[in-house]
Amino acid sequence: MTPKTRNTLLIACGLVLAAIYLFPLYWMYVTALKTSTAMFAAPPSFVPPNPQWDVFAGVWVERHMATYLKNSLIIASCAVLFIATLGSGCAYVLARYRSVWVDVGLFLVLMLQVLPASLMVTPIFVGFSQIGLLDYPRIAVIVAITAKAMPFFVVLVRATFMNVPAELEEAALVDGNSRFGAFIHIVLPLARNGILVSALLIFMQAFGEFVYSKSLIQDVELQPASVGLSTFMGPNSVDWNRIMAYASIYVTPILAAFVLLQRKIVSGLTSGALK
Amino acid sequence: MRKALSTLWDGRGFDLLLVGIPLIFLIAISGSALVYNVIMSFQEVDIFSLGTFFRPFVGLDNYIAVLTDPQAWPIFGNTLIFVLCSLGGQFLFGFFLALFFNMQFPGSTYLRGLFLVSWVMPGLVTGAIWNWLLAGDFGVINFFLQSIGVIDDPIFWRSSPDFALWSVIITNIWFGTAFNMILLSVGLAAIPKDLYEAASLDGANAFRRFYTITLPMMRPTIGALLSLGLIFTLQQFDLFAAITDGGPNNSSNVAQYWAWQLSFREYDFARGATVSVLMITLVIIAAVFYVRSTRHEVRG
Repeated sequence: MTPKTRNTLLIACGLVLAAIYLFPLYWMYVTALKTSTAMFAAPPSFVPPNPQWDVFAGVWVERHMATYLKNSLIIASCAVLFIATLGSGCAYVLARYRSVWVDVGLFLVLMLQVLPASLMVTPIFVGFSQIGLLDYPRIAVIVAITAKAMPFFVVLVRATFMNVPAELEEAALVDGNSRFGAFIHIVLPLARNGILVSALLIFMQAFGEFVYSKSLIQDVELQPASVGLSTFMGPNSVDWNRIMAYASIYVTPILAAFVLLQRKIVSGLTSGALK
Repeated sequence: MRKALSTLWDGRGFDLLLVGIPLIFLIAISGSALVYNVIMSFQEVDIFSLGTFFRPFVGLDNYIAVLTDPQAWPIFGNTLIFVLCSLGGQFLFGFFLALFFNMQFPGSTYLRGLFLVSWVMPGLVTGAIWNWLLAGDFGVINFFLQSIGVIDDPIFWRSSPDFALWSVIITNIWFGTAFNMILLSVGLAAIPKDLYEAASLDGANAFRRFYTITLPMMRPTIGALLSLGLIFTLQQFDLFAAITDGGPNNSSNVAQYWAWQLSFREYDFARGATVSVLMITLVIIAAVFYVRSTRHEVRG
């Protein structure tokens, strides 16, 4: 077998595997485009007979998706902003030094990373209601997400900072920079890509966050798109084409961002997640 | 005073500030919630005493109530099945795909990266899609299974007590396979190629090379991945909310979902906290294994 046929064969196999694995996504888009009758046809059609493009606009208006997505955006952006601001400094210090205290800090961060949101939501709900934070439910959710996702961000970004040579920082100090100046002008710019990629990953998670939002936000006007989707999906729902249209509108921006940046996201993830 | 202030941007104080604020925040929210959770599990908490700090302590009553609940052991059993099958499935499929994409070919890294969309999608959306794929009457999975002759009659995945848990497990395997694959790929890429060449020269076949080189060299990765997988599986909530809601009749319920139901459906916050304490203890044990298995990297 020549290398060329081997490669062709492997590419073909790879494409088939990817097609099988990503079939659910394809099915989401195809179902969204089907009419109600086409949706329940047996055998199912794999290309919609007469695609219903206006279903997206219909679902958008009818399910108030503008409000839901706006809330998701607000929650995810604020959470990422907090996480990136607080987490970058933490990751930097934990990457720069080696001591018992750094080990203790890292251990603490790793331990806080593993606490499941669905199990922490009870004490958070009760605690937040006692200090009155539940009166500002969006802030409550942002705080809860920040606490939940920051450890993961710290772990990922720490790996980035470890790749910034300490010599560059030392040189900046010799040139008369303060620690603060060296951090802002030398270290942060060099770690920018890693920070942005990790922040994007955290954003994607926060954009789909469900359990805190569902439990802490009662007001429909303030709920994010994940909660909106859950109320759309009743136990006896038959509106599958419209549910899939909702899902498509919700995830397409995330999928597009991911496909465009996937090289960077995957390398950011692999450099940090196992450390 | 001036010296103390200047150390904040040019000395030890700078580091302490950077690391201190986030850690204080984390401890204030997650740490105190953890402690509060334990306290609540020994208290009598209802919807009326929710707003007060001082509630009657009831000793182990909540624990006794949870552990003698007739639903408790089936739910713990489900949790075990869910964790073991999800972990096993994600790991096997992930390992297979990692080995496949490790045979470098043009575009292999790009294709491999695409798989990770399953991991970045909102859990609720994944749940919604699989809900429809697994639908009893018109689900496309049943259609595939029937056309290749595996089953004669459609399976009602979500509403049948025998299959409800499996519909969540299947979805969770799909969700986690890509993450397993990516991390296993990293481990595979780190194995020196000359080891394989030397083994081939010595006449070891592919199976033997896998068994004597790949597996032993991958041990740290596999250990870290399995404990990480355990942690992630015990965090899974969205798929249950989207697909079965724990039903029918708790046949697909697991502890982490039950804890939430107790608190937010039955407003029994004390028992919700009790189940949480039991499960968090388990997660922390897994986490200690995870941290231990990555310890050399953490230090290095």
